[in-house]
Amino acid sequence: MNSRTLWLLGAGLLCLAGAVFAAGTQGLAEPNQAGTNPNPVRLMRPPVAPLSSMALLGKEIFYDASLSSSGALSCASCHSPDHAYGPPNDGPVMLGGATLSRQGARAVPSLTYLDRHPNFSIGPDKGDDDNIIDLAQMAAIGQQAARTTKTAGGSGASANIVPQGGLFWDGRADTLQDQALFPLLDPNEMDGGSAEIVADKLRRAPYANRFVELFGAGVMRNQRLLIAEAMFAVARYQVEEPSFHPYTSKYDFWLEGKARLSESELRGLQLFNDPDKANCAGCHTSAPTRDGLPPLFTDHQYEALGAPRNAALANNRDPNYFDLGVCGPHRTDIPEQTQYCGMFLTPTLRNTATRRAFFHNGVFRTLEQVLDFYNFRDTNPEKVFPRAADSAVQKYDDLPQKYHPNVDVTDPPFDRHPGDKPAMTEQDEADIIAFLKTLTDGYKVEN
Amino acid sequence: MKSKLLTTAAIVAAASALACTLPVLADDFGRDRDHGHDHDHDDHHRHPHDIHTETPIKHLVIIFNENRSFDHYFATYPNAANPSGSIPFVPKQHTPKVNNLANANLLVNNPNTNPANGTGATNPFRLDRTQANTRSQNHSYTPEQQAVDNGKEDLFPKFTGRGTAGGAGAFGTNGQVMGYFDGNTVTALWNYAQHFSMSDNNWTDTFGPSTPGMLEVVAGQTNGVQPVIGTTSSIADGQGGLTLTGDTDPGNDVCSSTTSTMLMGGKNIGDLLTAEHISWGSFMGGFDLTLKNANGTTGCGRSTFSGNVNGTIVDYIPHHAFFQYHASTANPTHARPSSVHAIGHTHDLNGKVDPANHNYDLEDLYAAIKAGNFPAVSYVKMPAYQDGHAGNSDPLDEQAGNVELINFLQKQPEWRETAVIITYDDSDGWYDHQYVAPKNASYDATADQVNGPGLCGLGPNKQPAPKGLGGKPVNGRCGPGTRVPFIVISPFAKQNFVSHERITQASVVRFIEDNWLHGERLGGGSFDATAGSIMDLFDFDHCDEANKLFLDPTAGTVVVSVPEGHYHY
Repeated sequence: MNSRTLWLLGAGLLCLAGAVFAAGTQGLAEPNQAGTNPNPVRLMRPPVAPLSSMALLGKEIFYDASLSSSGALSCASCHSPDHAYGPPNDGPVMLGGATLSRQGARAVPSLTYLDRHPNFSIGPDKGDDDNIIDLAQMAAIGQQAARTTKTAGGSGASANIVPQGGLFWDGRADTLQDQALFPLLDPNEMDGGSAEIVADKLRRAPYANRFVELFGAGVMRNQRLLIAEAMFAVARYQVEEPSFHPYTSKYDFWLEGKARLSESELRGLQLFNDPDKANCAGCHTSAPTRDGLPPLFTDHQYEALGAPRNAALANNRDPNYFDLGVCGPHRTDIPEQTQYCGMFLTPTLRNTATRRAFFHNGVFRTLEQVLDFYNFRDTNPEKVFPRAADSAVQKYDDLPQKYHPNVDVTDPPFDRHPGDKPAMTEQDEADIIAFLKTLTDGYKVEN
Repeated sequence: MKSKLLTTAAIVAAASALACTLPVLADDFGRDRDHGHDHDHDDHHRHPHDIHTETPIKHLVIIFNENRSFDHYFATYPNAANPSGSIPFVPKQHTPKVNNLANANLLVNNPNTNPANGTGATNPFRLDRTQANTRSQNHSYTPEQQAVDNGKEDLFPKFTGRGTAGGAGAFGTNGQVMGYFDGNTVTALWNYAQHFSMSDNNWTDTFGPSTPGMLEVVAGQTNGVQPVIGTTSSIADGQGGLTLTGDTDPGNDVCSSTTSTMLMGGKNIGDLLTAEHISWGSFMGGFDLTLKNANGTTGCGRSTFSGNVNGTIVDYIPHHAFFQYHASTANPTHARPSSVHAIGHTHDLNGKVDPANHNYDLEDLYAAIKAGNFPAVSYVKMPAYQDGHAGNSDPLDEQAGNVELINFLQKQPEWRETAVIITYDDSDGWYDHQYVAPKNASYDATADQVNGPGLCGLGPNKQPAPKGLGGKPVNGRCGPGTRVPFIVISPFAKQNFVSHERITQASVVRFIEDNWLHGERLGGGSFDATAGSIMDLFDFDHCDEANKLFLDPTAGTVVVSVPEGHYHY
C-alpha cells in the first residue's frame, strides 16, 4: 500500500485566520491591544538537535567550492546563508561556469522551507493502494476535471487537479537529494563536469573518510552510490540545520501572540487574506496547518501567470526560446501536457523581502514591481508589458500565443478586465509589502 | 514491623520467581471487574486465563507491520556499523548466527551486481538512521517473482527497485532496493531479538503486497475473491474464480474506495474463535470513527503528522483491515463496542450481539487491558504513520509504536502468560538473498514467473497448484513469497535464540488453532494445515518472567524505568 498521504495545506483554517485578523483589526482602536493576535496559536517547529554525522558531512559538501569547475562556487554561493539561502547578487540570475560568466537559466530559488515540500504529482490525491499511476495518467484524469477558482479561505486549492509539489520552478526533482545534483552538474552553474569527475573529487575530499564510516568501504567503488549518498548528505544538512527552516519571522511570533504588527502590517495582512483584494493567501497559504505547523506561504501548486519576458536573459535573445516551466525545456518528462505550458511553482513568500529577483525569470527586481504586476496585469496591461513597434501592448510576451489560454484569468485579482478598477490602491500595495517584510526570519521578540 | 515487611517482600519475590509455573488465579487480574456478572458461569465471557490452552500462553498479540524483508532489517545482525554520533549497538556474547547477508558473504560480490540490473546494479549497502525515510519499492506479485530469477535472486534492482519518492527529505538511489538497516536504526527490533527469540526462516505465504498478507495471517488463504464494486487486484484462478494477488479495499467498509472493493469467501481464524467463545479482536489505528485527532481530523480521515516522513498520514488504511474481508467477522460501519467489557466478545454482557463484531481501534486494546479485559487473541495494526511502510512510515515511527505497546504489555499482570509476535505483511520488494523453491505452485501464464514464464513450481503435472476454496487446484497462490522478520517476545520465548524452522504467516493461524482449538483447521484450502509450527521459538518448561525488556520508544535503547505516556485521545 501507499497510504493516502495528506499534505495538508491548512486551507480549512484560512477562514479562522481571517477571523483572527478581523478581531485584530478591531483591536486597533484600543491602544493597549494594538497589533497583537487576539487568538494566539501554538506553532510546532521542527525539533532542534545536534547535527548528525550525515548532516555534518552534508555541510562540508554544501560549502565545498572545489566541486565546481571554477573552484569558486559552492552550493552556498548561490544559496547564500546570509540571504535566506537565496542569491546574494542584484541580477535576475546568478553567473556560473568555469569563468563565472555564464548565466543560470532561472532566478535562484531559496533553499529555505523545502523540508515539508511534497513530491511532484498531478491531482487528485493518489489514493491508498500501491498501484503506481504515471504522470500522463494523472494528467489525463486532471483534464477531465474543471478547475476551481482559488480564493483565500476557499477550498479551491485542495480540490484543484493541477500539478503540485516537486522542487525547482518546474518540479523536476522530488527530493532535496535529487535536486542537489542538478546545479552541481549544470554547465551554467557549478559546472562539475561529470559524475566521474565529481565522484573522483569526493573520493579525495578531506571529508572522504566520513563516507566510509557511514556507508562502508564499498561506497568508494560505487560511483552512483557515492554521489547519491553525497547528495543525500547535503539534503540531510538542509533538513536538520535549523537555519533552513527557523520560523522566526515577526509574523510567526505574531501568530503566537508574542509580537505586534503595525497598523500598516495588519492592513497588509488583511489585504493579503482578502479574496476581493490581493487574494495572495489563495495560493500563498498564510494560516498554520491543522497539525499546528507554521504556514509555508505556498500551496505547492503550479500557476501560469504570464509574467513579462526578461530581456536581460541571454537565452531570450533567441526570439524562439521560451521557458515553459512544467512542459519544458528544463523539465523533459511531460512536454506533451501542453495545458501546463507556462506553469511555474508557487514559491514560499517567507524571506521574500530579502530577494532582488522575483518570478522564474527574475524579471521583477522589487516587491513593488511584483505587486504592480498582480494589480495591473488585466486592468492596465500597458503598465506591465512592453509595447510592440505598432504600439500594441504585448500581453504575455514570454509565452507563445498558443499557450495564452493556460494563463490564470479566474483567481482574483486576475479575474479583472481592462478598464476595471484595480484590486489594490497604492496604499494597499505599500501595506502588503509592509506585511511581506514581517515574513523575514530573525525577528527578535521584545520582552 | 521490619521483619513483617521483609517476610512480605520475600513472599512476593518467591511468587514472582515462580509465577509462570504456578497456577495463576483469575482474581490476579481482577482489576475493575466490578460490573456484576458471574465470570465462572458465563460461557460467553470466559476470562482467557480460564480457557484451556495447549501451552501456558493465554494471550497472544500479533503486531502485523508493513513491508520489510528479513535481510533489509537484519543483514548484518548482530553487528551494527556504529559510526560516530550514532546510537551504538553492542551485541550480546554468544548471539547465534542468523541466515543473513553478512553470514552468507553477500555484502560484496552480490549477484545483484548483474549488469541486467542496469544503473541499479549494486552490492548491498547500509542505510543510516538519517535515511530512515526512504522510497517504497515495488512489491507486486509478479515483479517479486521476477526478482527471484529462478533462484538466482539477482534481479531485485531491475524488478522491485522502484517506488514512490517519499517526500523532499527522503533518500533514494538507483538500486536502493539493496539497502539495509542495522541496529543503529532498527535498534528496538535488534534488542528484542537479543533478549527473546526470532525466526530467520519466516515467509509470506504468497508473493505480493499488503492485502494478501493480511488474509494469510488470519485465513491462510487468498482464493475466493468476491468483487463488490468494480474490478479487484486479482487473477483468474483457473477454476472460474479469482485469487487475490494485489491490494483491494474490503467491501462495504465505510472508509473503503468507492471504485474497487471485494469480499472473500471461506472462513478465518476469527470464525473459529467466535464459535468457541474465545475472546479475540482486531485492533487497528484509526478504526474508531468517533474519535477526533489532535489535528482536528475525524472519521475515516483521521490523520497524524510524522516528523520523520514530514507528512500528515491518514491513520486507517482499509486494505489492511484483516477481518473486514469476511462478512462473518466484519464491522463495515465501524460500530463501537457497547462497553469496554464487551471488547473481544461476540455478545455484550446482557447477551445481545455486540455491534463491533470483534473489530476495534488500537486505543480499545489499551482500554480493554486496563479494564482487566485482555482478549485471548489480538491482531494489531498500527496507525499508518507507524506501520513501517516506506513512503507513509519509516523504521523510527514503527519502532515508537511497537515499543510503546510492548512496554505497556510487559507491565500488565497478564504478561506472565502473554506472547507478542512482531511480523510483516510483505517485504516491500526489499532485497532478501534466500531462495526457497515454490511449495505452493501456480501457473498463470503472465502473473507467475519464479521459475520461468508461467511457472511457479515444477509444472502442473509434477507439482499441481494447491487446492483453493472449492477444493480444486487454483492459480495465484505462488509461494512461499518473501522472507520477512518474525520475533516472539514472551516470558516463554527462548532467549537470544534464532529458529531456523521454516514458518509462514499461516503459522500464526496454526498456532492459535493448536493452542486454543485443539488443532482444528480452517479447511477450504487454507495453508494453516501445511504451515510450519512456531513452537521452536518457545520454551514452555522455562519461563523467565523477569526477562522483560523496556525500551525507549524513540531510540530503541534499553531503559531501566518505564516511560509512561501512551497518547490517548
